[in-house]
Amino acid sequence: MNTFRVLTIGGLLAYRALFNWIHPAIYIPSVLGFPMFQILFFAYLGRFSGLRDDAFFVTGNAIQAAGMAGIYASVFTIGNDRFYGTLGPLLASPASRAALFTGRALPIVANGLFVSAFGFVVGWAFLDFEPPLGSLLPLALVILVSAFATTAFGMLLGSIGLRTKDILLISNLAYFLMWLFCGVNVPLDTLPGWMQIVGEGLPVTHAVAAARELIDGAALGSVWRLVAAEAGIGAGYLIAAFALFRVFEREARRHATLETT
Amino acid sequence: MFGVLGPNGAGKTTMIKVFTTLLLPTSGAARVLGLDVVANTGEVRRKIGFVFGGDRGLYGRISGLDNLRFFAELYDVPVREQRRRIESLLELVGLRGRERERVEGYSRGMRQRLHIARGLLHDPPVVFLDEPTLGVDPVGARELREVITGLAAAGKTVLLTTHYMFEADALCDRIAVIAGGRIVAEGTPQELKAGVREARVIEIEVFGDAEEPAAAMRTLNGVRAVTVTTHDQAQLITAETEPNAELTPALLAQVDGAAVGRVAVREITLEDAYVSLVREA
Amino acid sequence: MKVLRVILACWWLNLKNLSRSAFFLLTAVMAPVLLSTIAFYMFQAGGRPGTLLYAALGSAVYGIWSSTLFGSGGAIQWQRWGGTLELLVASPAPFVFAVAGFTLATATLGIYSLVATLAWGTLLFDVPLDLAHPALFVAAIPVTVLSLGLLGLVLASTFVLYRNANALSNMLEYAVLLATGMLVPLSLLPGWVTPIAWVLAPTWGIRAIRDAALGGDPVFAIAMALALAGVYLALGAALIANLERLARQRGTLSLA
Repeated sequence: MNTFRVLTIGGLLAYRALFNWIHPAIYIPSVLGFPMFQILFFAYLGRFSGLRDDAFFVTGNAIQAAGMAGIYASVFTIGNDRFYGTLGPLLASPASRAALFTGRALPIVANGLFVSAFGFVVGWAFLDFEPPLGSLLPLALVILVSAFATTAFGMLLGSIGLRTKDILLISNLAYFLMWLFCGVNVPLDTLPGWMQIVGEGLPVTHAVAAARELIDGAALGSVWRLVAAEAGIGAGYLIAAFALFRVFEREARRHATLETT
Repeated sequence: MFGVLGPNGAGKTTMIKVFTTLLLPTSGAARVLGLDVVANTGEVRRKIGFVFGGDRGLYGRISGLDNLRFFAELYDVPVREQRRRIESLLELVGLRGRERERVEGYSRGMRQRLHIARGLLHDPPVVFLDEPTLGVDPVGARELREVITGLAAAGKTVLLTTHYMFEADALCDRIAVIAGGRIVAEGTPQELKAGVREARVIEIEVFGDAEEPAAAMRTLNGVRAVTVTTHDQAQLITAETEPNAELTPALLAQVDGAAVGRVAVREITLEDAYVSLVREA
Repeated sequence: MKVLRVILACWWLNLKNLSRSAFFLLTAVMAPVLLSTIAFYMFQAGGRPGTLLYAALGSAVYGIWSSTLFGSGGAIQWQRWGGTLELLVASPAPFVFAVAGFTLATATLGIYSLVATLAWGTLLFDVPLDLAHPALFVAAIPVTVLSLGLLGLVLASTFVLYRNANALSNMLEYAVLLATGMLVPLSLLPGWVTPIAWVLAPTWGIRAIRDAALGGDPVFAIAMALALAGVYLALGAALIANLERLARQRGTLSLA
């Protein structure tokens, strides 16, 4: 099957099929409403604690929220495949694995972009957040890289979820992880050393740092290291996700455990 | 004990849900012990027990005993009575000794028995049982039927729904056969059997087209009805004829050319009558 | 009294039921503990001394809210999927009290979060636990649980009657956290938020608990919480009666 077609059409169809529960009445409160209030809450908490300005919290939470949307979507895409029994037929098809997964990942990444953008708009509309115009395009790039990294992370979690049965628990744990370790609401350097190390290994951390500098007026050139780090982390998780997936797939074929819910 | 017999989708469960106040009738009225189920809902609920059965309807992470205690509270069983009654009910349904285990570990039959115990906690005069032996293994089902018979013997009014003919026949004093939401026959098992016209039933197993031969058979003298059903690889032609007619050769002539498997001749039973009754509806 | 027996029976059952769900416990306890950690760091890094207890208490009440929202929103739905909803409705016990018992249990489990958050704060962040009015503090906790549990009753019925409301529950977590002044004082928020806050139980709950711990007027807040509890009960009763009637009409008490 033509790889390109698998990529685009296959991805779109799969996305629509698995996400047919995402219609506006559910999408808006869950994917947009939730981050909106998260941003507002932490910005106000920031004001109260006198920690940093609104921009700090808007960037942190907007990117983290987008990341979480990506993680949930990835985990559930894989989890739903298993639940609906489509995983077996999928794996049995001769289509290239890479194309298959990329096709599924694209809409998720696009969604992540959208959620971030929405978060920034919320910050601009309701809080003291005014990013310099020149930073908008570089910001978009940073968000794109971050969306890729978190989707990859989500795929790794989703692969783990094939083994354990609690994808919901894993997603929630991931949420808490990122909340705490990625410097979303607390500057990374104020956290104890070990937490910083964990944070450096997670997606979102470097993207948030880069975004904050960009909003402060830095040029893209000065944050390229952070962006590269985020991209690299994403690539690493993607490879790990693939590898793990193949391992489980092979195991499941041996033990016939893939379709059990 | 009153039995309501009918195939799936006939409306047995709907009927029971109306009686147990879980479903509001769209027209007409239903009364239990003279009380209207809509106007006197509270009183009706106090006086009836019901068992729907199945794997659900119990709190899995809690023990059987705790489940019973909970429902006893809901049904306002006096605290002093609770312990004694729960113990005797556990004895009755044969769950003594297993009551402290979590329900999630119970087998289907055990859950069914716990349901029966639950339904009887407040000693209701009327008990509704909706397909109580469905999905239960044969031994367990037999034990359940003994318990159910005991209920009627103890003076309770029991309404039982089932799609097992033999169960209704064996347990019930009166039976109503329903199909498509209507009662198509009613009476004691004897009356129903007597109502079955004497007839002979000839079953012919055919591999291949059965509709044409069946149509031809219907035109024969002495043949009352012919039905075709599919069983695995073969079609089964069931012909109901006059009781004393010897029509087997004539019928077989109609399937001339097709491969014929088993051929059987027998007298009509209540089961055949039931099947034709519900199929007509 | 019969009503009390029904509420207690359902409360006890759901308490046991939820305590045995590892998933529920984990989510209910982890979220407030983590929130308090973030709050602690923020307060410490922001240089506002003396507010660690404030953060601990706010997170603790958030824990009760989170547990209630999560547990009550789905309370009726879970019963339906488990096949026990029919049994509850068909019993002579008034359905509204049965549901109230269930939602009160979810709020009660929030006490796990309260204890966990305070213990966490004391052990890892040296949060001082000197209470200004210890007796009132102890009294404020069950009052908070009661009013939140009855808010849960309203949630439980609303989420079943209006299925789209279910999707709102995610959003409500932070929205209520923000709008009820649990961690951010209401004075920092736009004025129009205040009347909304006043009709939400957590506002008075946190005020009662905080005033009892840090000094203030806990009695007024306790009274308001109780008054709101009454309002929720009345509202919940109306919603539940409607719910029961509709479900019996449409035959949606069970899945089949």
